Amino acid sequence: MEMIIAGLLDAISPASLMYVFMGVAIGVMVGAIPGINGPMAIALFIPITYYLTPLTAIGFLVGLNKGAFFGGAISSVLLRTPGTPEAAATSWDGYPLTQQGKGEKALRMALYSSVAGDFMSTGVLIAIAAPLAAVALFMGPPEIFALISLALTVIAGIGTNSICRGLIAAALGLLAGLIGTEPVTALPRLTFDIYQLGGGLSLIPVAIGLLAFSEILIQLERFTGKGSGEHAANVFSTKREDRLLSLKEFFANTRTLIRGSAIGIGVGAMPGLGAPVASFMSYDQAMKRSKHKEEFGKGRLEGIGASESANSAVVGASLIPLFVLGIPGNLAVAMLMGAFMIHGMQPGPLMFQENAQLMYGIYGSLVIASLFLAIIGRFGLRLFCKAVEIPAMLLYPIVIFTCIMGAYLGRSDMFDVGVMLTFGVIGYFMRKFDFSYVAFLIGFILVPEWERALQQVVIISENNPTMFFERPVAMGLMALTLFVIGKTFWSNVRGGRGGRAAKA
Amino acid sequence: MTRIQRETIANLLIVGFGLFMLTWAIPTYTPPYPGYGASPALVANVSIGVMMAMAGLSLVRLLLALFAGKALPPQEGEFPDDAQSTGFTQVGRVNLYHLALFIIPCVLLIVGIEYLGYVPTAFLFLLVLQYAIGNRNWFKMTLFAIIAVAVMYVIMRYGFGVPVPGPQLF
Repeated sequence: MEMIIAGLLDAISPASLMYVFMGVAIGVMVGAIPGINGPMAIALFIPITYYLTPLTAIGFLVGLNKGAFFGGAISSVLLRTPGTPEAAATSWDGYPLTQQGKGEKALRMALYSSVAGDFMSTGVLIAIAAPLAAVALFMGPPEIFALISLALTVIAGIGTNSICRGLIAAALGLLAGLIGTEPVTALPRLTFDIYQLGGGLSLIPVAIGLLAFSEILIQLERFTGKGSGEHAANVFSTKREDRLLSLKEFFANTRTLIRGSAIGIGVGAMPGLGAPVASFMSYDQAMKRSKHKEEFGKGRLEGIGASESANSAVVGASLIPLFVLGIPGNLAVAMLMGAFMIHGMQPGPLMFQENAQLMYGIYGSLVIASLFLAIIGRFGLRLFCKAVEIPAMLLYPIVIFTCIMGAYLGRSDMFDVGVMLTFGVIGYFMRKFDFSYVAFLIGFILVPEWERALQQVVIISENNPTMFFERPVAMGLMALTLFVIGKTFWSNVRGGRGGRAAKA
Repeated sequence: MTRIQRETIANLLIVGFGLFMLTWAIPTYTPPYPGYGASPALVANVSIGVMMAMAGLSLVRLLLALFAGKALPPQEGEFPDDAQSTGFTQVGRVNLYHLALFIIPCVLLIVGIEYLGYVPTAFLFLLVLQYAIGNRNWFKMTLFAIIAVAVMYVIMRYGFGVPVPGPQLF
């Protein structure tokens, strides 16, 4: 109990409140800019958190992520250009409302639905993460090794059309994560005699290069030469009923919001699915169960509520696998995991024992971030709408310059800027050739823990691989991993024999 | 270039990279087995093995599709019309000129900052970057570059207490 109170008191300290507030505000702003999403913003701002305490750093990044999820809805509603992939479904009903001059009402619905989904999801996280983590503590190195193996194969499907290419990317990420000092011998491994690589590749330049810089390179192909940003017209009507959302209008969608939040929580808790899946699934369910199916896609508030409540509910729920098992379920959480590691903590069930005060502080920050989102969104809506109009000619130089200085900031070393550029180019080609940079990054982050578990298994079992047969959970997880890999092989072989090609 | 050709090249490069790692890089740059635990080269070898197996599998699949004379179906996010006419998509096109246009100034920034210092190099870098993006208003470009360099300097120096890179100008 003392830990809970101490953690919550930490969360309401002025510094913590200030950084959570800043995180949410910046998150909404960057989320509103088409092309900049939550994980990208986290990658850009992680270097700053080097200089913060663990709680303020995590609070800031969590706020940033929450803000970016709602911010994505702004450009989605105003321009039909989703700021984030998960906001795509929001545009289907949000943009028609903007065309009718009810953009502000649509944005208010998106905001309150986001906050509702976010609160429910955070509540579930707080209620179940600690008890589940207590159960997860019974897992030994074989189970952890098997679990990470499974996570890597499942996550390989994110961000690519081919699991085969996803596995290649994950393997490449593992390889990149091995660069540095080998843990058992304490000798350099795969450093190619470059002394700066002795400590391994830092997450910050790798993440900035893969997530932000490569994305900007791709976007610049479309935007080079475009002088001005997009113009959001007809957003703010002078009619009160077109601008404001009445309580009656909001509560008419209560069922949709609860259903959307439940879908978001379920999807978020499962690694590998992500917010866009939750958003589309919730929209689909809302439409199927609505008495006014024909109005969906033409400006129905229910559609916005379904999409936004689901995608925001993913944010809190996606922390469940991280806190319980130490497995990041999506890219944003992988970046948060990186932030934990930068501050010397290994996310997982032990955190509730070793850093209980911090964990309850994070819980407090999560709730406060939801409150701030409601307040900042309510009073800053018009200001954030201006973000979509930032001209490309100003935006992209700022982002590129921030990428460079952010990469430098981590270790105050220009070598890391070179690493960032290298991974920017690698990320550019990975995106072009449809190799999952998400799987790469998660493989990169998970490999130290995976190798440590492997070493422990080998040492405990005295090089006896049959150890897995004595551990039913580990065996089950390994069987599942082999099944996923085998299925990938089979579907590829079948596709090669004319299965997929013949369908063309 | 068709998608089959592009994927074939990508997979061949991966197989080539795997062979390079297995035959030279991993044996040369991995510590010897200490006599207990797993070999330091184990995870690296497994990773390369997975990469090569998957790339090999994709190559077999592509070869079978090639012999069958079938085009690969367009994938999610690609433009089907474009894929049907050229077998290649807009999403997948690599624009090396564009890549060079933005990477070369960044590389020059790294080099220049070591010799000239942060302020002049970053200022010139931002001017070049804006020009490359398409801005031609020199007044606005200069103003923006000065503000961005100054703001970043203040944040780094006084916000985080981190020395700006290169020889100190101030």
